[in-house]
Amino acid sequence: MGTLLFLAPPIVACIILAGILSYFGNHILSRGIIFIDIAVAQIAALGTMIGILLGFAENSANAQIVSYAFTIIILGIFSFMKVKNQVLPQEAIIGIFYCIALGMALLLAEKIPGGSNYITKTITGNVLWVTWKSVLYCLLIFIPVIIVNLVMGNIIKKVSHGELAGNSMSRTRIYDLVFYITFGIVIVKSVPVMGIFLVFMLLIGPASISRIFVRSWTGRIIWGWIIGAAGSLLGIYISYSMNISNGPAIVSLIGIATYIAAFTKLYMKRADKNILTTN
Amino acid sequence: MLSIEFIFLPFLGCLLIVLINVYFGIHVIKREIIFIDIALASIAALGSAVGMVLFESISVDHSHEGHGFFPYLFSLGFISIASFAFTLLKHKKISIPLEAIIGIAYAVATTLTVIILDKGAGGDVHVHDMLVGTILWISGHQLTRLALVVTIVGVFHIIYRKKFMSLTESFHNHDNKINRHMLWDFLFYFSFGLVVVEAVNIAGILTVFAFLILPASLSVILKGNWTTKLIVGWVAGVTASFAGLLFSLKLDVPSAPVIITLLGIILLLGYLLYKISNNKKPVKETSET
Repeated sequence: MGTLLFLAPPIVACIILAGILSYFGNHILSRGIIFIDIAVAQIAALGTMIGILLGFAENSANAQIVSYAFTIIILGIFSFMKVKNQVLPQEAIIGIFYCIALGMALLLAEKIPGGSNYITKTITGNVLWVTWKSVLYCLLIFIPVIIVNLVMGNIIKKVSHGELAGNSMSRTRIYDLVFYITFGIVIVKSVPVMGIFLVFMLLIGPASISRIFVRSWTGRIIWGWIIGAAGSLLGIYISYSMNISNGPAIVSLIGIATYIAAFTKLYMKRADKNILTTN
Repeated sequence: MLSIEFIFLPFLGCLLIVLINVYFGIHVIKREIIFIDIALASIAALGSAVGMVLFESISVDHSHEGHGFFPYLFSLGFISIASFAFTLLKHKKISIPLEAIIGIAYAVATTLTVIILDKGAGGDVHVHDMLVGTILWISGHQLTRLALVVTIVGVFHIIYRKKFMSLTESFHNHDNKINRHMLWDFLFYFSFGLVVVEAVNIAGILTVFAFLILPASLSVILKGNWTTKLIVGWVAGVTASFAGLLFSLKLDVPSAPVIITLLGIILLLGYLLYKISNNKKPVKETSET
């Protein structure tokens, strides 16, 4: 019973995050901007470093504000770089942003004592350190995000699929900005707690599995949530019983499951095709 | 003049990486599989970690004979498995972008490496070194290996350039062409993997990624055929690496961030110049589109 109580906050955190990340993951797969969350996390880390260089303490509100402001500015630039006949894919722009942000962070790391810690800090994270307090705190921040995305959900969905009526670029960009800012808040909040790879995997893995098998939009989000939550629970159980770190366990589990799902579909579809042709 | 001598070998290393990476970069951007290089690098790292652990457990006397060769063999094996999976899963029946599949491979490979090397201390330092690399300290041996791999892969791609280019151009078509040329698609990923392993060993993940994406982005923005694109990318890459190495030596700052910043500046300037020159002749642009 003691272990269960001890594991309750991380489990609740994983279930909440699996839901919200499944929603964003489906959007991101539609947009083909897979690595945006790693880029956003890197940009936020750079923002924190800038805050520290400005003389604020690492965990102070001021440093956080600098980090958020910096991230939002970059996301704004990113959403305004979307043009009608895109020559350079958006994923390439993300790659450029990521690369330059990481390069800058490395340069700034020279100026801050123990600076290289900030670069590698985002890579790891530990779900087991999650407390009820941080779960509540995350929920408080996610509620406005959820409300905004519920209200504007239909339009954002159309933008993600490139089917906004009239195709007006300025309107598209504004909805894009709303989408990116809400997404950015979730990423900046969850990466320090869960680690960048766990967030990345909960974002891409479950959404990929459900996208391979499910056709309807809502169905994909719900299945993504279920798969993400189940994967996290199983991963936490495996990590607990085999005594390995939980983050890597969940990541590997969901990742391998995605590959199995994709290959199953590949095989299944061939069978389907045979049925179709024989009919 | 001493400084020029000092950066001669690193510059040669950069030159080789730029030569081959601009070419691959254009392919990668057209295929929209931007992060394949980082993914292949982590898969290779996982392979060599597995190889290292197995080697340690097999060799009873802990002799270091064959040390390095065995892990290399494993990283090649892992890269070929991954290339094969990417080839198979680029299928119109799989309704997710290939980049997602690549991203998942990246995450799994990195975390599995962490699990395997968990006991090793100083993981942070290792991660840092893998990111940044130590191109200023490149050895003649490393350079020879890189030159060898770049020459082999380069010649192979020059001979079969039409094949690879037409595959990439039709990558997003739904005509199944890519599935009829699976061997070539596999060879594309595998040969790129060979280059990535050597390049990352010398210059680190981040610098190699920068050389792959930034110059090629500039050449993709500027319209033109493959030859013009390659020349634009090469000029941008070579300029940035030479100036970057020189600056980094003079100012005593790490070379990777300086090179990346210069590449970014060149990309921005090139884009602005292109915009300005395009705005001057709007008639031509409309006739083109």
